[in-house]
Amino acid sequence: MATKTVEFNVGQGREMGLGGAGAASPIAPFDIPEPEVGTEQMLINIGPQHPATHGVLRLVCELDGETVTSVTPHIGYLHSSFEKLGEYRTWNQIVPLTDRMDYLAPLIYNCAYVMSVEKLMGIEVTERCKVVRVILMELDRIFGHLLWLGTTAIDVGAFTPFLYSFQQREKIYSLHEALTGARITTSATRVGGMMADLPEGWLEQLLEFLDNFPKTLAEVHHLLTGNQIHIGRTQGVGTISAAEAINYGFTGPNLRAAGVPYDVRKDRPYYDYETYDFDVPVGEHGDCYDRYLCRMEEMEQSVSIIRQAMARLPDGPINVDDPNVSLPSKTDAMSDMESMIHHFKLITDGIPAPEGDCYMAIEASKGELGMYVVAEEGGTKPVRWRVRPPSFVNLSVIPKLAEGHLLSDLIMINASLDIVLGEIDR
Amino acid sequence: MADEQKSGLDAVDEGPLGSDTTEAPEQTSTGDPSEHPSVAALLERFASEVQRHQLTAGDQWVVWINPERSHEILSWLKDDLDQAYDMMSDVTGVDYGGGRPVEVVYQMFSTAHSRALRLRCPLPLDAMEIDSVVDLWKSADWLEREVFDLFGVTFKGHPDLRRILMPDDYAEGHPLRKDFPLRGRFSRAEQTRRALAQDVERFYLAENLEAGDPQEVEATEVGTVADSGAGTLPAPAEAGEDD
Amino acid sequence: MGLIDKIPGSGSTRTEGGMFGPGSPTFLTSKVDALINWGRLNSLWPMPFGTACCAIEMMASAASNYDLARFGMERMSFSPRQADVLICAGRVPYKLAPVLRRIWDQMPQPKWAISMGACASSGGVFDVYSMVQGIDTIIPVDVYIPGCPPRPEGLIYGLMMIQEQIRQESLSKHFEHRAEDPLLVAKPRASEAEVVGLTGPFGNSTQQDQISTGEFVAPAATEDPLS
Repeated sequence: MATKTVEFNVGQGREMGLGGAGAASPIAPFDIPEPEVGTEQMLINIGPQHPATHGVLRLVCELDGETVTSVTPHIGYLHSSFEKLGEYRTWNQIVPLTDRMDYLAPLIYNCAYVMSVEKLMGIEVTERCKVVRVILMELDRIFGHLLWLGTTAIDVGAFTPFLYSFQQREKIYSLHEALTGARITTSATRVGGMMADLPEGWLEQLLEFLDNFPKTLAEVHHLLTGNQIHIGRTQGVGTISAAEAINYGFTGPNLRAAGVPYDVRKDRPYYDYETYDFDVPVGEHGDCYDRYLCRMEEMEQSVSIIRQAMARLPDGPINVDDPNVSLPSKTDAMSDMESMIHHFKLITDGIPAPEGDCYMAIEASKGELGMYVVAEEGGTKPVRWRVRPPSFVNLSVIPKLAEGHLLSDLIMINASLDIVLGEIDR
Repeated sequence: MADEQKSGLDAVDEGPLGSDTTEAPEQTSTGDPSEHPSVAALLERFASEVQRHQLTAGDQWVVWINPERSHEILSWLKDDLDQAYDMMSDVTGVDYGGGRPVEVVYQMFSTAHSRALRLRCPLPLDAMEIDSVVDLWKSADWLEREVFDLFGVTFKGHPDLRRILMPDDYAEGHPLRKDFPLRGRFSRAEQTRRALAQDVERFYLAENLEAGDPQEVEATEVGTVADSGAGTLPAPAEAGEDD
Repeated sequence: MGLIDKIPGSGSTRTEGGMFGPGSPTFLTSKVDALINWGRLNSLWPMPFGTACCAIEMMASAASNYDLARFGMERMSFSPRQADVLICAGRVPYKLAPVLRRIWDQMPQPKWAISMGACASSGGVFDVYSMVQGIDTIIPVDVYIPGCPPRPEGLIYGLMMIQEQIRQESLSKHFEHRAEDPLLVAKPRASEAEVVGLTGPFGNSTQQDQISTGEFVAPAATEDPLS
């Protein structure tokens, strides 16, 4: 397994923005004895409407002075009952629901859902479709991490990375728009293929983005990675050990920051991920800083994967050649009787599924995203559509991570987990 | 349905498929268990508890087990060195409707052996109880709360079994059950009124934060139309009656 | 209310047929109106009530490409006490409804509300048990922005419509512009009959009756929501 330990040697010859003066001593230890003051237990309510909770999360904290003694997260403030609604929709009608779940990386959710349904139905998508989906998923990994980067930087008091990351996100927005017509709610996939093939000139646009993006990333590295304030706010904050991280259900960059090299792309490969050459960044300490470094490194690896995928992108059809699964072309549906019947049957009835269930896990930007579909024989709608939400499980660890830290660290810990409430509450 | 409105898109609109099915499909085991070491080991060690096993979606193994001994089997799967399922990816429920048992589904993964396994425990509708596995995997904590919230399955031994997604005093039932209508049991006006009658500060109280037994929060009486009986929950629909 | 009541011709304390009577703008009031409106519309502080996808587009509007600061909305006011315009961006479930209502009640007058996106305006695709079918059943809304989610241009256009609305306002018609019953605090804005009317299924919405058993008695449509 190709893994790469993320190391960053703080203060060794790195320019600190202060003429390197602060480099020798990261943070001067404070030796001032704490004055004897009486503290009392108090309850602090954060959210559900609060800029630092990254959505409508509500945290009820018990404090002793400024130290957090316990945190109780309350969620469900964005419960939109996706899973219940999915039981009333045919297989393809669920696709638009999936990107409203994680609106930070919608294409990953589109792909994950149809991959699960295709696996259940035993549909093998075309080679071109596989590579296109890999490109789209890695693009949206960057997309999701960029938003995390911007909002987390705001939480530690830096506004510039937010503007930098949104500048790059706008480039991805226009890529989304050229491909699907929508900026966020893409709904790009269909069972057995894609809504449409890549438009003309799209790959050149993508290439231009890939050329410019690493420069912005380097600038953000320069702003944050060696920044004394950022280091002081993140290093040693919210630490978790490797064994605990697995037991608590951490996945994704949060787990890898704790030193576990578990990546679904490597451990349960799909779409020929084993043939791509990329590293899985792994941290050592499991603190907020390592999570930050893992995500920054992942964005660079994603750029590399997209480049490899673009090099191997084959020609050919993007949809499977099965009239019971893919829609015929509009010209065929208008001129050919049989195609029209297939079109009509597909739209009104949907695609029949075999009896069974299927759990498809993929590596989303937040962690292991599982799509679990249960079908009955010939069913055109799922009996149960379940999303294994990565940030739901990641968030449930916050009471353990935040205990004993200061209230301001709680904000940083919450930000470093990279949660999205649309997917937590579903 | 009382006042069904027919439209040209009935094929789309006729509701969830599963709730109309009353007959469970024929239950047979498929696949050769020797392909998956854990399934073979389960069949050998807990032969009487394994109800059936199935190979589904190409390469995924599902084992139906007796819910009464689920905790014992799961803790063996976690601790036995040849199985070592250290990652509990998902705990969820499946309701087929039509009076069929609600199934609790465990998705497990072993990082040591790089192997996945799915266990399903069918719970009859009159005994919706199963042992909690929070003591084995901490990740099951919120996942079990969600199954309790949306399906009404009680997890025995869970440290803090409360509703998680719906409000604590939600009076309409368990939404993901097939007998629960998509729009809820109350009218929109009643739902809006109840929603705004919630006290947004209610859960501040320290006694609500204490971990303990399943908490039953009393629904606050906020009825303007309580006299007519409209504010109360209708009798839970018998399974299979509502289609 | 409060000080504004003391301004002649502005509120309920006015004397009938007086010099500053209703509907008779004078030279003085129209000049004062213009000045006040100019100040108000160029320094709107939005209260971003962002919940879901639309909130991301709202953030995109504030970032460099769209730069909401051009319209005097540099400062997103995360405290309702200092905010002028509530932007409700995203889905609002019933669990969040009292929070939205309280934030609206906490905002001082003059205040405006924007319902951004299909879910906030009508429930959108989520015609389900947990979702408010349009926030106008809870709070009064000035501008609805369609789209799922609306583009940043859409949000900016909506805010410019608010500015246009402010430009038309007059102090002498203060109570017409923002009449709000204090008894409605923390209560649904619409009556039960209105809520039922507003939230009925439409279009290709999934056909399903709201009531699963025959015993349930719908609340009488004429019931007073305030009692």
